[in-house]
Amino acid sequence: MKQDRAGTETRWRRFGDSYFVYRLRRDRLAQLCLALFVLMMASILAAPWIAPSNPYDLAQIDLLDSELPPFWLAGSEPGFPLGTDAQGRDLLSTILYGARVSIAIGLGAVMLQAMLGTALGLLAGYRGGVIDTLLMRLVDIQLSFSTLMMAIIIGAVVKTAFGGAFYGDYGVVILILVIGLSEWPQYARTVRAKVLVEKHKDYVDAARVLGYSGRRIMLRHILPNTLSPILVISTVQIANAIMAEAALSFLGLGMPETQPSLGSLIKSGFDYLQSGSWWITLLPGLFLVAFVLVVNLLGDWLRDTLNPRLPEGPL
Amino acid sequence: MRLTLFLSGVPASTRVCALIVSLWLPLSCSALAGDMPADNGFVDDDRDITLRVAYDTDPVSLDIHEQLSIRMLQLSHLTFDPLVRWNRDLELEPRLATGWERIDDTTMRFHLRHGVTFHSGNVFTARDVVWTLQRLRRSPDFRAIFEPIERAEAIDDFTVDLHTRKPYPLLLNLATYLFPMDSRFYTGTSADGRDKAEIVKNGNSFASNHLSGTGPFEIEERHPGVRTEFERFPGYWDTESPGNVDHLVMTPIAENATRVAALRAGDVDFISPVPFNAMQRLRHADGIQLISMPGTRITMLQLNERRVPAFRDSRVRRAFTYAVDQTAIAERLLKGFATPAAQMSPEGYAGHVATLQPRYDLGKARELMREAGYAKGFTVTLMAPNNRYVNDAQTAQVALAVAAMLAKINVAVEFETLPKNHYWAEYDKRAADMMMMGWYSDTGDSANFFEYLTFCTDPETGAGHYNASEYCNPAIDALVERANLTMQPEARARLLKQAEQSIHDDAPFIPLYWQNLAWAASDRVDIAPVLNVINMPYLGDVVVHPR
Repeated sequence: MKQDRAGTETRWRRFGDSYFVYRLRRDRLAQLCLALFVLMMASILAAPWIAPSNPYDLAQIDLLDSELPPFWLAGSEPGFPLGTDAQGRDLLSTILYGARVSIAIGLGAVMLQAMLGTALGLLAGYRGGVIDTLLMRLVDIQLSFSTLMMAIIIGAVVKTAFGGAFYGDYGVVILILVIGLSEWPQYARTVRAKVLVEKHKDYVDAARVLGYSGRRIMLRHILPNTLSPILVISTVQIANAIMAEAALSFLGLGMPETQPSLGSLIKSGFDYLQSGSWWITLLPGLFLVAFVLVVNLLGDWLRDTLNPRLPEGPL
Repeated sequence: MRLTLFLSGVPASTRVCALIVSLWLPLSCSALAGDMPADNGFVDDDRDITLRVAYDTDPVSLDIHEQLSIRMLQLSHLTFDPLVRWNRDLELEPRLATGWERIDDTTMRFHLRHGVTFHSGNVFTARDVVWTLQRLRRSPDFRAIFEPIERAEAIDDFTVDLHTRKPYPLLLNLATYLFPMDSRFYTGTSADGRDKAEIVKNGNSFASNHLSGTGPFEIEERHPGVRTEFERFPGYWDTESPGNVDHLVMTPIAENATRVAALRAGDVDFISPVPFNAMQRLRHADGIQLISMPGTRITMLQLNERRVPAFRDSRVRRAFTYAVDQTAIAERLLKGFATPAAQMSPEGYAGHVATLQPRYDLGKARELMREAGYAKGFTVTLMAPNNRYVNDAQTAQVALAVAAMLAKINVAVEFETLPKNHYWAEYDKRAADMMMMGWYSDTGDSANFFEYLTFCTDPETGAGHYNASEYCNPAIDALVERANLTMQPEARARLLKQAEQSIHDDAPFIPLYWQNLAWAASDRVDIAPVLNVINMPYLGDVVVHPR
């Protein structure tokens, strides 16, 4: 026990002394972003406890509360700090709950992409030859389609094949699949490139001489060395996936109206944009932009920090 | 007596309209780009007054019997005249018929107007009416509507008798659909050896490219799908018409936003339909008038008794109608561009019962649910069309609001919205426990609502074809059938009112609202006097003020 605690303490100290924390201490923007990110994530995760109401519970909605303005405008009501949408849902709660859905989809999709892309990238890079050619042509083909178009096609096919009710029930899973399956080539390419570099290094040769199987070399030796680019792409991809989800929902291929994500919330308010109730679209829109910006900036910073070849300081 | 009225004509036409709308969607508007006449607008050197109209679709043809749709009927009113027509107060006014009298229960005599000429110069006589009726019976779209009429008989040049198969109280309503065509013009063979009178759907018949009617406008130029230009007919019989438009240009603009923008930019003077989300903006726009009228199209949610055993209990159905706040939907969600409904017949219809008002009362609803043994509620499915691109009230939003209202009596609604063309396929399968339905009575009469929406379903006759409540109450059906044989208007209205009251008390559906009709025009167009609730703007009578 004692030893364990001592172990964690040193680990903490080591983390505190690391280059990572050193860079973070010196970068105000990164600190701000991290603080915002933590704040947003915390409020999103705590939504069921801190949100004024549950927008997914139809019994709590009253149409007579519809289109109330946010608190700084005349006509607002104290129960609805950011106003309400056309159905009378509290906008703050809807944004928080919607962001949960959006982020769940973003994370899920990125995990799927990362798994698929990394596995195929490793395989292609390490095995080379016909497998490499086949997989990379597949990547080329997939990259020649726009992600959104792929997602729309898959979404529309699923919706027609299984019906809208099914789509409504499994919306999150379907969107994760749709976005995950259309964005994996990013990972595959990056990982392959990294593997091509790594596989000619001495430690790989050593492992091979020791007689380890190809699978073991790929997973135990090469993969850990490709993790930093994966991490960096992931931050960018999370932002991308959230945007893709918002775009799909905006086009009506995303989450159903009863469980709005940020994208479908923006969409549902769009019709009211010019009739005076701008907050229904604008506030979730701002939240989405802020969140994606924060994640992107953090991702950028992470890339700079984890890339030893970049000189210190701003480029 | 079975359903003799509008046997399958109406469903077909509703479908056709929906189809046309959906077909038009992909063709975003290129029409505006090219061919708008220069903004020479209203006062020219030779005092020509031009009215530029933009609808969402183009008439499919110049043959008014080719398709039964609102657009074709509007074209008919521009270029032809009916025997009688509805005025603003839903009263009939004489057009080509100057008077009519009932000879017996199955015969009505029409006295025709003297001195009317067709665009071709031919003189209008009773022969043209007989000929037109014969042609209507060959039209796939109109045949069903005119089925009750057995034959037309010309007594002399200006008197015609219409014989019905059975006593038929709505013969005059039917006469609003009878636009006499120029029999001599449409008789014979065309240059390519085909019969001039033939009716070809989406084909290239003589009548689809040539037109000779008695109406206020003749066709000057037509580019299908792009623009149709009309010229005032100098020999128009109605010299008392205040209409002063010399030149009318009709352009289809399918895209809602583009149509509104065209009006705001002054490229067109009159638009219809007005997209729902533009209404508020147009209401406050300078130089533009938005006119909205309570419509006659009822929107309802049908409660399927076959799928949901609970709906067989009238207390549960009534609880549902008590739980839904129609006024909030009409005022809040639809911004007052709808009239909350508690029955099917809108005001002005024979069956309208003025005392039936929305009965929102949550306490009563909960009590009824408790009485019926469903205090804990149950789960139902609901389907509604989501016409994002069609000019209709935001039905998906309405469905969601209803779901929220039903949640208050512990009814969980799993709801799904579909594009309109998918929706009708699901509707025919009765795929959900609650189905949204919008219905417009083509006859302008209450009986039509019952015949299609609440009659016991009978595939043979087509009765109850859109009865997704699967409700069957022979007593109410009998009332309506008796009304259909009653020639005396007051007695007939009494029967229909009784039917409306009984349906209200038994609640096989939740009535929601009558969506308002809306038109928008430039301030210079004195449009209000020619508009009516059946959405047939009589543009022949419109007055345009010089700039």
